[in-house]
Amino acid sequence: MAGFVQRVGQSLVRAHRPPQVSWKRCCSSDALMELETKPGEVGMVSGIPEQQLKRRVIIYSPARTASQQGSGKVGKWKINFLSTHKWENPLMGWTSTGDPYANVGEAGLEFDSEEAAKAFAEKYGWEYQVKKRHTPLLKPKSYADNFKWKGPPTAEE
Amino acid sequence: MGLGLLASRTLKTSRVLSSQYSRFRPIVTKPGLQSPDASAAAPATQPEPTPPPPKKPVGGARVHFTNPDDALEVFVDGFPVKIPKGMTVLQACEIAGVDIPRFCYHGRLSIAGNCRMCLVEVEKSPKPVASCAMPALPGMKIKTDTPLAKKAREGVMEFLLMNHPLDCPICDQGGECDLQDQSMAFGSDRGRFTEMKRSVVDKNLGPLVKTVMTRCIQCTRCVRFATEVAGVQDLGMLGRGSGEEIGTYVEKLMTSELSGNVIDICPVGALTSKPFAFKARNWELKGTETIDVTDAVGSNIRIDSRGPEVMRILPRLNEDINEEWISDKTRFCYDGLKRQRLNDPMIRDANGRFKAVSWRDALAVVAEVALQVKPEEIVGIAGKLSDAESMMALKDLLNNMGSNNVWCEGTGTSPNADLRYKYLMNSSIAGLEKADVFLLVGTQPRVEAAMVNARIRKTVRASNAKVAYIGPPTEFNYDCQHLGTGPQTLIEIAEGRHSFCSAISNAKNPAIIVGAGLFERDDKDAIFAAVEAIAKNGNVIRPDWNGFNVLLLNAAQAAALDLGLVPESSNSIESAKFLYLMGADDVNLDKVPADAFVVYQGHHGDQSVYRANVILPSAAFSEKEGTYENTEGCSQQTLPAVPTVGDARDDWKIIRALSEVAGIRLPYDTLGAIRSRMRTVAPNLLNTDEIEPAAFGPSLSQDCSQKISSTPFKAAVENFYMTDSITRASKIMAQCSAMLLKK
Repeated sequence: MAGFVQRVGQSLVRAHRPPQVSWKRCCSSDALMELETKPGEVGMVSGIPEQQLKRRVIIYSPARTASQQGSGKVGKWKINFLSTHKWENPLMGWTSTGDPYANVGEAGLEFDSEEAAKAFAEKYGWEYQVKKRHTPLLKPKSYADNFKWKGPPTAEE
Repeated sequence: MGLGLLASRTLKTSRVLSSQYSRFRPIVTKPGLQSPDASAAAPATQPEPTPPPPKKPVGGARVHFTNPDDALEVFVDGFPVKIPKGMTVLQACEIAGVDIPRFCYHGRLSIAGNCRMCLVEVEKSPKPVASCAMPALPGMKIKTDTPLAKKAREGVMEFLLMNHPLDCPICDQGGECDLQDQSMAFGSDRGRFTEMKRSVVDKNLGPLVKTVMTRCIQCTRCVRFATEVAGVQDLGMLGRGSGEEIGTYVEKLMTSELSGNVIDICPVGALTSKPFAFKARNWELKGTETIDVTDAVGSNIRIDSRGPEVMRILPRLNEDINEEWISDKTRFCYDGLKRQRLNDPMIRDANGRFKAVSWRDALAVVAEVALQVKPEEIVGIAGKLSDAESMMALKDLLNNMGSNNVWCEGTGTSPNADLRYKYLMNSSIAGLEKADVFLLVGTQPRVEAAMVNARIRKTVRASNAKVAYIGPPTEFNYDCQHLGTGPQTLIEIAEGRHSFCSAISNAKNPAIIVGAGLFERDDKDAIFAAVEAIAKNGNVIRPDWNGFNVLLLNAAQAAALDLGLVPESSNSIESAKFLYLMGADDVNLDKVPADAFVVYQGHHGDQSVYRANVILPSAAFSEKEGTYENTEGCSQQTLPAVPTVGDARDDWKIIRALSEVAGIRLPYDTLGAIRSRMRTVAPNLLNTDEIEPAAFGPSLSQDCSQKISSTPFKAAVENFYMTDSITRASKIMAQCSAMLLKK
């Protein structure tokens, strides 16, 4: 236990780098998060291996699946860990990965807003980049357009 | 809650409800199963709970009010919502944040109103109304979740399921099927249909679209897509009643470059992807949102991968670029990513055979040769699919070696990289919808950039825009006036002698689109001068409208010109002693001297590999992070979806490593560092998802003294399906070229 605390303390001191990152309140209703935390601090004390604390992630809002019209999953924000460290296991042909975050972004993390996702990434000290969300543009449509006169018929056919 | 308790509650509530709504047939309604607690509480007379706050529009949809007076107010489930005049009830519900179930309605197609799934209740209307076809009127009170609406939709669903096979477990659409999704909400758990289900003979629509016509629910989305967006009148509806079926009447393949989109718009599994059939289930796939590089449009795509393998490519919404469509080349080129790949660094030995070596040895050999030749004999060529980062690194490396003979293939020998307007689509892809006259000069957008062609077709359909074309005879999928085949016609228009001049000068927003295939011509400057003369006479470039457009061919071109990849001398390839090809497969290597040392860095064993002395394997677009600028000057970034094959590395990392071995270390180690280097050269490449318009217009261009030759324009793309190393390696694309291009 003492070793753990010592390690955390050391890493706190070592990673006390970012003067450019502002002290920021993490926006969450969670009581724990009401505490003032420096960016990256939560990652450091959470016991995550150190090499995983310096990751680049992409924050994005998944587009609607082209073949589905439902909108239930649209508008959520996700984190892409750019995890491609995968290979096919020669023994069974299964997919192996050496990345602990390989399946986290897709399945495990989902945010209601861009700010929440950013706050989460900041909390863990990840360098993030936000992708713009593309939204549809609604234009008035009318059933009567089917019967609208569209000019004289063309000569061919 | 135990199951028994749940069952008894359900029984109780359904009895209560059936007495309440006794005027309906009490067979399919099971509100108790949907939310047992809520409906159990409903019969008790409780005070109305406070309504939830208004919702946001479905999918974050934006609405554009052209005229604030044209707004009208309707009530959706009690909430007031402001909508522009002329919208339908379904659109009003969407703005109010209520998703209406639908099968036949599609936001980008015309309204058919035949599936009847979108029934809603409107106050003072005797019957449920089909919301997709009903215009919203001021003060309309729309109710979307009343028992009447639910009951009506359940009835519709029962009819739809009557003839629909229960083969979801073997259906490729299973898991992302609209019928499946909506039957969870409105379907019955048993059917009352005791007759045989109908069956329909499958159609052969070609190598891309698989049909299982028994599953079809006759929504006619595919028919409308084919006639309206793709512009091929191939599909139609035959027969009546239960004999009704979708087909081509006579056996015929669907020959459209957008045919893959019918797979997406089909709400059931009737039209699915043939190459993807039975390969994977969609819930196993991991989606990565990235950018397509097979043409200069930069369509937004989602690469679905399973483990280390790309399984399929789907479009993703971007109103400004590809709406929700992608071309067949984009969608089906993915199997090329698995074939003909370069795994290891290789050196050609004395016998002319390639031998796999380590990266260290390969780079040492390349660096040694590069340092021995004279700087002016070093030439670098970037390929069609190169990202901006690697082109920046290549240019920096060659400049550090003392050579400035670096360019991107397809930009010609002396590209105009000084003025951005000369190589960009200045009116932007979405902006083409405002144009009313198009003049296509030496370009066939249908094969060069299918998504741009879809925009032009959309404009032609919407506003009867006039299209004229100068170039070799070809087929368009909209009305197009063929003015001529060569520069002669262009000069006539420029000098005001042609009858089409009046069409341009009378147009409100004329658009001229010049093909990038003309970059390869010797009299390119004279042609561009003629086009600019037309633009000047026709008032094409104004402060509020810029109709001067260049349609690029390759994903790398715009970024290459922005970064200044311009060759110093036009015949440098003839005197080259050290040739560095970064994925360049379409350069003519016949003129390369026999004693030249050719390095090929790329991901596919394609045409240039036959001449290469050293091969350095790199990552394809699906495996790396890279910046690409599309033809309208909008830079976008790809994201890695799958791991690289073998020992391959990112392009810019290879060049960075080579510079280290050669002793001229490039000063960037990370992607961020190379991007900040790019910022000093072309800052617009870092403003992703934004169009950076060209700053200066033609006022700065010089007079051209070049003589225009009379050689007619050539087609820039011979085979739509095979244009780069990935598509040339693809089996599906080979099938398409064999079957669909057959005349």
